[in-house]
Amino acid sequence: MIEVEELRKQYGDLVAVDGISFTAAGGTVFGLLGPNGAGKTTTIGCISGLLEPTAGRVRVMGHDVLLEGHQARACLGVVPQELALYEDLSARENLLYWAAAYGLKGAELKRGIAAALEVTGLLDRATEPVKRFSGGMKRRLNFACGVVHRPRVLLLDEPTVGVDPQSRVRLQELVRDQAAAGTCVLYTTHYMEEAEALCDRLAIIDHGKLVAAGSLDELQALLGERDLLRLSGSFPPDRTPEALRGLDGVEVVQAEADSLIVAAPQASRLLPAVLAALAAVGAEVRETTMTRPSLETLFIKLTGKELRE
Amino acid sequence: MGFVWATAVKDLRRRRRDPLALALWLGIPFSILVLISLVFGGAGGEVKPQARVLVADADGSLLSGFVAGALGQGPMAELIEVETVDEEEGRRRIDAGDGSALLLIPDGFGQAVLESRPTELTLLTNPSQRILPGIVEEVLSLLVDAGFYLQLVAGEPLAEIVAGPPEGANVFSDETVAAMSVRFNQLVSGVIGYLSPPRLGVAVEIEEQPSRPTLSLGPLFFQSLLFLAVLFMAQGMSDDFWLEREQGTLGRCLTLPHKVRALLAGKLLAVLVLIGALAGLGVGIGGLFYGFAAARLPLAVLWAAGAGAGLWLLFSLLQMYATSRRAGSILSNLVLFPLMFLGGSFFPFEAMPEWLAAIGRWTPNGAALEVFKSLLAGQPSPARLAAGVAVMAVAVGGGYLLAARRLRRGFALS
Repeated sequence: MIEVEELRKQYGDLVAVDGISFTAAGGTVFGLLGPNGAGKTTTIGCISGLLEPTAGRVRVMGHDVLLEGHQARACLGVVPQELALYEDLSARENLLYWAAAYGLKGAELKRGIAAALEVTGLLDRATEPVKRFSGGMKRRLNFACGVVHRPRVLLLDEPTVGVDPQSRVRLQELVRDQAAAGTCVLYTTHYMEEAEALCDRLAIIDHGKLVAAGSLDELQALLGERDLLRLSGSFPPDRTPEALRGLDGVEVVQAEADSLIVAAPQASRLLPAVLAALAAVGAEVRETTMTRPSLETLFIKLTGKELRE
Repeated sequence: MGFVWATAVKDLRRRRRDPLALALWLGIPFSILVLISLVFGGAGGEVKPQARVLVADADGSLLSGFVAGALGQGPMAELIEVETVDEEEGRRRIDAGDGSALLLIPDGFGQAVLESRPTELTLLTNPSQRILPGIVEEVLSLLVDAGFYLQLVAGEPLAEIVAGPPEGANVFSDETVAAMSVRFNQLVSGVIGYLSPPRLGVAVEIEEQPSRPTLSLGPLFFQSLLFLAVLFMAQGMSDDFWLEREQGTLGRCLTLPHKVRALLAGKLLAVLVLIGALAGLGVGIGGLFYGFAAARLPLAVLWAAGAGAGLWLLFSLLQMYATSRRAGSILSNLVLFPLMFLGGSFFPFEAMPEWLAAIGRWTPNGAALEVFKSLLAGQPSPARLAAGVAVMAVAVGGGYLLAARRLRRGFALS
């Protein structure tokens, strides 16, 4: 279990994480969702003991990461965002080192390495130097190094970035297997569909702040049954929000000079009224896109921007 | 301890996968040693130069043969090799630099000496050599003096011998030989009092010189170049922190349930083993070539490994305080080269001006090299050895703590 209370991490004037709190339970996948630079990796760094929090408290399996760092880190498995492998060693030698570093020895060590190679599909390439591996194979080995000692808490920092679709599916299966075995998995990603498919609970983070947290159903309920309308063209900034305010159920999420995002129930029916109101204030609409309710629409509603920005 | 050992084994495995780096660290100093040995001859031991004197004897008399033969006989045989040539060949060869000197003995030389008439020997020397032709000139000058005095003392009987038996006879008569023998005996009896014992008393005073190591060039360069290899290895392996940081493994290590000091201890252990192995190999080979006492080798190897570890920590600190890998490389090289040239790791202190050697002995590698040399080939005093061990322990311990601090608080996180 991971317990994060009012976590804050500051670098000079820059606040990377600003008082976030959440709890992730064993046997579940907890997703930390946010765009690049939102503070996800900093949060993982504070939980893993790599970074010292400016304020707040983090406990891993009941151990405070600052006061009982050794015990807390002994429960952890970490899969960093960037590859962290010895390229000149073989897959087996990499696993041997990381497993031994967590105190595995003898038959337990051999079993752990064999199991990690087996589940990641690297058994037949175990003795080859890692530098000869493809990107997907390296990602799988990176994952294997984090789980070879069967941790009770697993931190995965965007493990599928830059991975081919086949390896991505395989990695997601491995994550589910870990959770099914009782491991508490903290999974950061900026892939919305991945979070929807994988996570039991989610926290949305932006600019270091937690903007929403809960199960997928709970988060979608926040959005209601409203669709998202994206319009591009030219919109008078001072008059556009005012023009749409009179329409029933329509909420302006984001208004820029060249783009407009509005949330509305049954947006297809309201579309003519929206276009008419915009035309009345001199706006020109060149393109319109409608999106059904999803985690992505919720993210846009909560943060006012696309997740991949 | 398990993590320290696992880290050391992992680093040694990685080093084994990079044989080129190992070959360069060892190969460069070894190549220098081979070149020096070739330049100074053989294995760099004591080599006596030999002058080749070309003699063109146009006279062909008994006396001219005596002069040519005397140049390369007795103790002079070790220094001078005599080769008989005709004048044309001699001039051609001396022009080509083949030989230290050409001695031209003119026709009629022997007769002129016996008749006390002026005559002339010509010595042409090789301008590309300085010392060997000088030796030849000195020896020839002595011979000429000896010939002059011989002619003064025994000119008459010698002239009779050179003139040969009377006309009509093939050999000297018994009476003539007996008379010559008596005259030679009287001559020798007359001068023996001056020759043996000498009439001139010579008082010999030997000025005591401060004793200097009597090692020849080979062992001196060998010890220095072994430390050059240690220096190269220490500097080369210090770059590993940047490599580990760039490939993400350093950050991952910091999430392990171990202190960063344990990680550093593992890496330090690998460095000790690797440099110890190199020093063991080098000292073993040196023992075979230069006859170092076997009993001294283990301590010398341990010392070299410890010194290498200390130098590795020094270079590692420089790397960790640099702002980039490139800056780290430049910075460590900026320190490496002065240490190399000043600290006796390239030129032995014995080949340096004393004031420069005195400075060099205060450099980390220079100070360590002096103790290493005394362990290997000298007689280290227990007090000096204990002081050396204490200084090394403080340097390695201090470097270790500073490096661990920098690693945890700055380098790994920046």
